[in-house]
Amino acid sequence: MNSIVLIIILLGYLIFLFFIAHWAEKKGNIKWTNNSYIYSLSLAVYCTAWTYYGSIGVAANSGLSYIAIYIGPIIIIPAWIIILRKIIRISRVNNVSSIADFISLRYGNSRFLGAIVTLVCLFGILPYVALQLKAIAETFHIVTKTSSSSLIFNDTTTYVAVALALFSSYYGTRYVDASEKRKGIVMAVAMESILKLVFFIIIGVYVTFFVFDGFEDIYHQASQLTGFEEKNKIGGLTQGINWFFMCMVSLFAIFLLPRQFHMSVVENNRERHIKTAIWLFPLYLLIFNLFVYPIAWGGNILFKGQNVNADTYSLLIPQFFNNDLLTIIVFLGGFSAAISMIVVSSISLSTMLSNNILIPYTFLGKLRNEEQLVNNKKIVNIRKIGIFSIIISSYFIYRFFALDYNLVSIGLISFVIIAQLAPAFFGAVFWRRGSRLGAIWSIIIGFSICMYTLLIPYAIGIYSDNSPFISEGLFHIQILKPFQLFGLDYLQPVPHALFWSLLFNTMVYFAVSVSFKGNYRERNYAEMYVDIEKYSANHENAFVWKGTAYTSDIKKVLIRFLGEDRTKRAMHIFNTKYNVDSNQELADARLVKFAENLLTGHIGTASARILISSVVKEEKVTLPEVLKILEESKENIIINKKLIETSNELKKISSQLKNANENLVIKDKQKDEFLDTVTHELRTPITAIRAASEILHDDDEIPEDLKKQFLQNIISESDRLNRLIDKILDLEKFETGKQTINPSNNDLIETIKNSIEPLQHLIKNKNIDVSFNSSNTVFCFYDEDRIIQVITNLLSNAIKFCPEKNGNITINYKIENTFVKTTVTDNGKGINPSDVEAIFDKFYQSTNQNIKKPVGSGLGLAICKQIIEHHQGKIWVEPSAKGACIAFTLPLKNYETIDL
Amino acid sequence: MKKRHQQKLLVLSIGLLIAFNLPILLLFDSTNALLGLPIIYIYIFSLWLFSILVSLLVVNRYYE
Repeated sequence: MNSIVLIIILLGYLIFLFFIAHWAEKKGNIKWTNNSYIYSLSLAVYCTAWTYYGSIGVAANSGLSYIAIYIGPIIIIPAWIIILRKIIRISRVNNVSSIADFISLRYGNSRFLGAIVTLVCLFGILPYVALQLKAIAETFHIVTKTSSSSLIFNDTTTYVAVALALFSSYYGTRYVDASEKRKGIVMAVAMESILKLVFFIIIGVYVTFFVFDGFEDIYHQASQLTGFEEKNKIGGLTQGINWFFMCMVSLFAIFLLPRQFHMSVVENNRERHIKTAIWLFPLYLLIFNLFVYPIAWGGNILFKGQNVNADTYSLLIPQFFNNDLLTIIVFLGGFSAAISMIVVSSISLSTMLSNNILIPYTFLGKLRNEEQLVNNKKIVNIRKIGIFSIIISSYFIYRFFALDYNLVSIGLISFVIIAQLAPAFFGAVFWRRGSRLGAIWSIIIGFSICMYTLLIPYAIGIYSDNSPFISEGLFHIQILKPFQLFGLDYLQPVPHALFWSLLFNTMVYFAVSVSFKGNYRERNYAEMYVDIEKYSANHENAFVWKGTAYTSDIKKVLIRFLGEDRTKRAMHIFNTKYNVDSNQELADARLVKFAENLLTGHIGTASARILISSVVKEEKVTLPEVLKILEESKENIIINKKLIETSNELKKISSQLKNANENLVIKDKQKDEFLDTVTHELRTPITAIRAASEILHDDDEIPEDLKKQFLQNIISESDRLNRLIDKILDLEKFETGKQTINPSNNDLIETIKNSIEPLQHLIKNKNIDVSFNSSNTVFCFYDEDRIIQVITNLLSNAIKFCPEKNGNITINYKIENTFVKTTVTDNGKGINPSDVEAIFDKFYQSTNQNIKKPVGSGLGLAICKQIIEHHQGKIWVEPSAKGACIAFTLPLKNYETIDL
Repeated sequence: MKKRHQQKLLVLSIGLLIAFNLPILLLFDSTNALLGLPIIYIYIFSLWLFSILVSLLVVNRYYE
């Protein structure tokens, strides 16, 4: 295929990505860009050209070990729910924008440590970017069937690299604040992740099912090849140990690679995105790895005996069958894998380079005195140049050092170098005593050993056998042979280097940390990191700082970098959050930390600290004092929590009180109304009595029979009055608890019969049919007089409401468990469902008296309820099809043992 | 997510570390074919899939 055509296709592809990124950036907050699937897919920036091409090379040449690089992440990803969440939280509250910030901030905001971490990352990642460029260049030559030119300027791939560098440096620096989320980049990377996976599946399916006849066919043919057995096996203890170290190095890499840290931590919008990533990302890796084996061994079968680079099997196979379209698709997939890595890595590296080396060590003095616009422009330009030069220098590394190595061996070197940050990094999150000195020395020692056992031999060239350094050791001392340090000869170079470097690294970290006391600032941040759960809501409180600072000075610094508007807004947020008066002249620790945080995204933690401390006057705090203050602030937090709880409780109680008060007001009103009714009820008979007696008094000539009738009226009205007063007194006694009942063992049936007896003539008058089975005996415990009162009341109610014709009253009883339930049912008009609760309320009738006036005093059922409840029973309205049904229960056994 | 449920995933991690390494790994160290793949691949991939399923189950049930 023609180079020009391919370049045009690549350009088209880059423009497509550019638009995706642009679109995502513009759309801002819609669910498409801020979503857990995009986040999970963006993590797949882990799968670079190494995965896409290199894995196949390893699987074909040395077999199974390619998987180890994915096993490490698979092992640790479930634990992300704890570890990654913690890291994300810490980074969010501190505005961390890179792994160098993360580590250096924890160890007392150390400028030097930040610079070292950055350097280690540069050493580790530049060859890694070179690897991607190498993959692009080599595959480009394969697709176009050209050979690479020894003159850099004659080689087309040089221009591809330059184009990539320009693209990344333009797109990677849209924001001055490096901790700002770059939605465009994330979206583009997620898109590329989908593309590279789909393209890889396509070629995998093509090789497995079209070139060959499925997995069985490949297995069958491959098993005839020499070396199949040993390559597809772990093979024994030594290889098992190698395997273990490979798992470990990839386990560290998934946290520590700058691009991985960038995608999983800095670009994380919400903690809960981890929920999806925890299963989706391993699934992505699994699918990616499924077809590595068939492509690798398919290639081994097809190109048996030919000298071809196994890394490029996925291109060579479709090319072998003259399938141009598939070749291009595979090439584009590899290109996607490579550029997403290049873009993200170069962005995070250049942020580190600018924020942790260039600005704090060189530019800070100049930036301090410039205006905001100039500053922003300068910072962005530093980063732009950074990205561009990172990619270009990687290209030179590829041209001068890495031409001969396969992709995986370069990648593994990067992993081992990056792994040197592991003790300082994990110590930062989990170990309070890890100190700055420990971190610095551990990284330096570890990195030096890496240098000796890996970087230098590789730079000399492991394939140039005549190097005495490799074959005989430094100064011909056998024990110092870089690949068999101290005589350890059974590990492969990479696990070997990892073992020695990490061993010394970790030991130094622990030894120095426990031997030398750290300063108070380290310890302060240590507490903040390790206990982030406690401080995440208002972490400024956890910052221990003493001294004098003026708000106006801090504001001035902020304005230089954030501009007038943003500073104002930020200060407003701060003042509202901590309830600080905006005119307060003296700044406190919280404001100092807040200002540092704001600057961190722009110029890195170290520079932010230098800038702020140049305008404030800090007093030294001793370590015990820090701990004491932290302890107090912890206590404060606990007290705060308790206060909140108490105030919540108070709120609850006050709302209860309010309810109670409302009830009381209603009750009071009801009482008034009730009194009205009662006086009205009392007055009616009195009026009648008075009228009759007046007539009798005034007129002596009343006929005898009329006189008798008047006297009869007076007697019956007095009776009525008497009854009414009795009832009121009764009820009052029950309610105030003065009334006692005298329960004894009685036959309920007998009692019911006794109750019906006096009502017999009323029943007859209304022609009511009473059905009651009186043949049994049911003994239970109650005060007979009182229960007669209840039943009489219920019966007389029922009689009142029975229709004129065919009236019917049913009395039933039923023994249930420890009590007997009695029901009285009539066939009248029934009880309105809305009244079911209220009819036992003594005030109820009085509130409804204007609508209907069903029974006399309105006290009957209220008294019944009191009586039944004093018997430990219940009374309620049973739902019935027709008429009203009232049920009550009485205990079968003596309930006096139960406290009344 | 409650601490107790987070621990479940942590235990899964530790289990994977053990199952993916010596000496257990060597128990499945065979190139005999199962479904057209050497058994060691089948072992690794199915363990992998198992960890995905368990993680999915735990986060879906307990992540609030």
